[in-house]
Amino acid sequence: MSARAEVAVSVGAHGDSLWSKALRKFRRDRVGMWSLAVVLAYAVVALGVVLGLWAGDWADVSGPKWAPVSGEYWFGTNIIGQDIFARSLYSTRTAFEVGLVVALGATALGAVLGSTAGFFSGSWIDEVIIWLMGVLDSVPFILLVAAISYTLQGSPWAMHIAMIATFWIGTARLIRGEVIKLKSLEYVEAAHAIGVSRFMIIFRHILPNTFHILLVQATLSFVAAIKSEVILSFLGLGVKDGMSWGLMISESTFEVLAGFFNNFIAASVLMFGLVMAFNMFSDALQDALDPRTVK
Amino acid sequence: MEVFQYVLRKLLAGIPLVLGVTLISFVLIVYFGPDKTYELLGKNPTADEIAEIRSQLGYDQPFVTRYMDYLREIVTLDFGSSESTDEKVSSILARTVPTSIALAIPGFVLGNLLGVVLALVAAYYRGFWVDKFIMGFAAVGMSISFLIAIIGFQILFSSSDGLDLLPVRGWDMSTPLQYIRYVTVPTLATVFVALGYNTRFYRAVIVEEMTRDHVRTARAFGVPPVQLFYRNILKNSMIPIVTRIMFSIPVIVISGSLLLESYFGIPGVGKVTYDAIVTGDQPILKAVVVLTAVLFVIAQLLADICYRVVDPRVSLK
Amino acid sequence: MASTENNALLSVRDLVVEFETDQGVLRAVDGVSFDIHPGETLGLVGESGCGKTVTGLSMLGLVPSPPGRIASGSIMFDGSDLVSMDETGLREIRGSQISMIFQEPMTALNPVFRIGSQMRDVLQRHQKLTRRQAHSTAIEMLAKVGIPEPAGRVDDYPHQLSGGMRQRVMIAMALSCGPKLLVADEPTTALDVTTQAQVLEQVVRLQKEFGMAMILITHDLGVVAETCQQAVVMYCGRIVERSSIEALFASPRHPYTAGLLASIPRVTDERQEVLPVIPGMVPDLLHLPQGCAFAERCSRVRDRCRQKSPRLELLQSTQTSVACYEPNA
Repeated sequence: MSARAEVAVSVGAHGDSLWSKALRKFRRDRVGMWSLAVVLAYAVVALGVVLGLWAGDWADVSGPKWAPVSGEYWFGTNIIGQDIFARSLYSTRTAFEVGLVVALGATALGAVLGSTAGFFSGSWIDEVIIWLMGVLDSVPFILLVAAISYTLQGSPWAMHIAMIATFWIGTARLIRGEVIKLKSLEYVEAAHAIGVSRFMIIFRHILPNTFHILLVQATLSFVAAIKSEVILSFLGLGVKDGMSWGLMISESTFEVLAGFFNNFIAASVLMFGLVMAFNMFSDALQDALDPRTVK
Repeated sequence: MEVFQYVLRKLLAGIPLVLGVTLISFVLIVYFGPDKTYELLGKNPTADEIAEIRSQLGYDQPFVTRYMDYLREIVTLDFGSSESTDEKVSSILARTVPTSIALAIPGFVLGNLLGVVLALVAAYYRGFWVDKFIMGFAAVGMSISFLIAIIGFQILFSSSDGLDLLPVRGWDMSTPLQYIRYVTVPTLATVFVALGYNTRFYRAVIVEEMTRDHVRTARAFGVPPVQLFYRNILKNSMIPIVTRIMFSIPVIVISGSLLLESYFGIPGVGKVTYDAIVTGDQPILKAVVVLTAVLFVIAQLLADICYRVVDPRVSLK
Repeated sequence: MASTENNALLSVRDLVVEFETDQGVLRAVDGVSFDIHPGETLGLVGESGCGKTVTGLSMLGLVPSPPGRIASGSIMFDGSDLVSMDETGLREIRGSQISMIFQEPMTALNPVFRIGSQMRDVLQRHQKLTRRQAHSTAIEMLAKVGIPEPAGRVDDYPHQLSGGMRQRVMIAMALSCGPKLLVADEPTTALDVTTQAQVLEQVVRLQKEFGMAMILITHDLGVVAETCQQAVVMYCGRIVERSSIEALFASPRHPYTAGLLASIPRVTDERQEVLPVIPGMVPDLLHLPQGCAFAERCSRVRDRCRQKSPRLELLQSTQTSVACYEPNA
């Protein structure tokens, strides 16, 4: 036994669960706690937009073209005189909408297909799911978005659906592997022996034990969705009605060449802040949930 | 010929994958794709004219027949001509693929090479400030949108608000100097963003290898650090590194960097693909999707052969 | 055994090894002292987590750092202190003067190099042999550890050998430079029972042939009885008893040693219904009690056991040292 493992054994000798230990470890992680606080602050901004507390006037042409930063226009105005501050806040809402829809959709789909493949590993069901993952992995992402967008005739949900259709694959691969490991464990075999249905075994006995993987995967999908939104919106394949950081940056490419940076800076900095905080939160979560880390 | 048989078997095993990709692309782009009927008709068409055009386009055929036609075109590598320019798809690809490769190579090589080097330094000083600094830098690279990096470097090098040294957009490979002038900004943006992901990935791989039992054994027999690094760590890390590099290749060769090329107006495959998306140019989209899938199968094959070279435990069976 | 003797090959004094964890500093080895003489075999016994592996790694300066470090103490080997020696000096000693073999033969060899290449590497570095000389020495060593057809096997990759064969390769590699001391960390634990006996026998025979000293780290008292002259019993990072094998098995002084001995099944005994076990659990190294770490599991516990930890002391008129206020008679 290596020295590292030996230490791990003696530290892990307490009989408490993965979750309470993870919570304790996460609370002590200062970077993790701060990044969570930043993410929550963004969430409050987004919620305020949903409740109509602010940024309701994001589309109004209220001021002169390219007004500088002032008490009235905190971040200035854009090329046609819209308030950049209001547009930034509204875009935060869009980011959370895209992030949450994609994270939930991709994680749920990955969990269901991954656990099904793992549970029936070696059978044709598994083969079909693996084949599907390989196929979707081989289609260039932007082309898939475009193709889905054609099929849905320009529906604003085409982007969400395309992201879900690709982001579930990583989660499904991890869950499949974990389920193959779990299904040989005693309690699952016991459930088999007393005649619990396959459906119940997967969803009541196996999936709950992969929840820590799903949680981390959901945070990763959230970040990936926000980042993809910016590029897709810039290419005209993303957000169709409404405002987003991607659309703001797209707008700003003309302004930047004319030497006006407010739109670009506002969208970039706000987006960077959220993505960075979410990345660090996700890291801290992985550390806290990893049973191997003893550090 | 063991290797030949292996290659053949692998390529055959790739057929279901390519078929799957053709099916998806057919369903999404052609079957449910944009209806071309009215583009080809004059004003106020009669019902007969509409029916004739639809029959020319094959829209009146059943699903299976149309899919089979589509497959036949692919198997015979006859992708037809672009609907907007009438140029043959094969000649479009021949013209644009080299440009895309020339654009992508510097960023790809630097991004991976520097990624491995930084990862090694970080892994070696694991837990110390050097490690924390490098990983902090990687976290920033990961959190900045590619688009923002592109615009940022463009402002810095190409605008009158920055250094104003390099061209704003466009492409010219007529002389090496021109090539460098045009490739620098896209490359810097690519490397900056790729380094974030690559460094993290490679560091994880290397740390994993550093904590293996055989590394401890080697240390217990007095193996000096440099040799330990080459014989016990680097060689064993090659499999995940090779996999990552192999699977980036199809994306570079065929779709190129769609974002870079359309942003800077560089005439590569990415730009062609983007224009095809916007105009619904089906022959080009079809060629790009199918060729990407085929290259994925080949990349998988090459990766498997590399595994065999690196790791004696893998056999070509 | 006593510290006054100066002809010891290796003498460890008050060794303390600590690990930085995010729940505080963990003391894996706490004040361990022992001597080992040329040709002698010392058994280092205890449950997993008691610090015996970390003690073994300290002999070669291999405590994983960070998070581990040798906090204090000395390890004198051939007149120099291994604790204060720099990495270059330690590298000269590792594999040539002191060798170590590990528990896991399946993962302890580099999977991507042939075993011959790995063995030659050690010989060429320490013995300054040519490639050809090293190759024939490697084959010779493989034959010595009982590997059939060594000239063919030398070109195998580790995964082509069974666990027992790989452990023999490890032993061959460890002995190839004729070390003065071999640290064997659970060398047979991962092997199946029939192979265990063969490999152990091989190690002991070669130890005699090479005249080297050995530290045998194990949780198996049966193995200690068969191979060792001296034994050190560890519990929670400390030595609880140190004595000769005869004394240890005839009259174990520490209640923990006695408990360990009682839990070994014996063929010669009358039929026992149930093997006695030591009640309770090993305490967490991060939250060790103030007094004796064994107090909560001990049947002879007194008040003062809980207040202050007993020191390791030589019992009068014996060769046994024990850390207990109430040792067995």
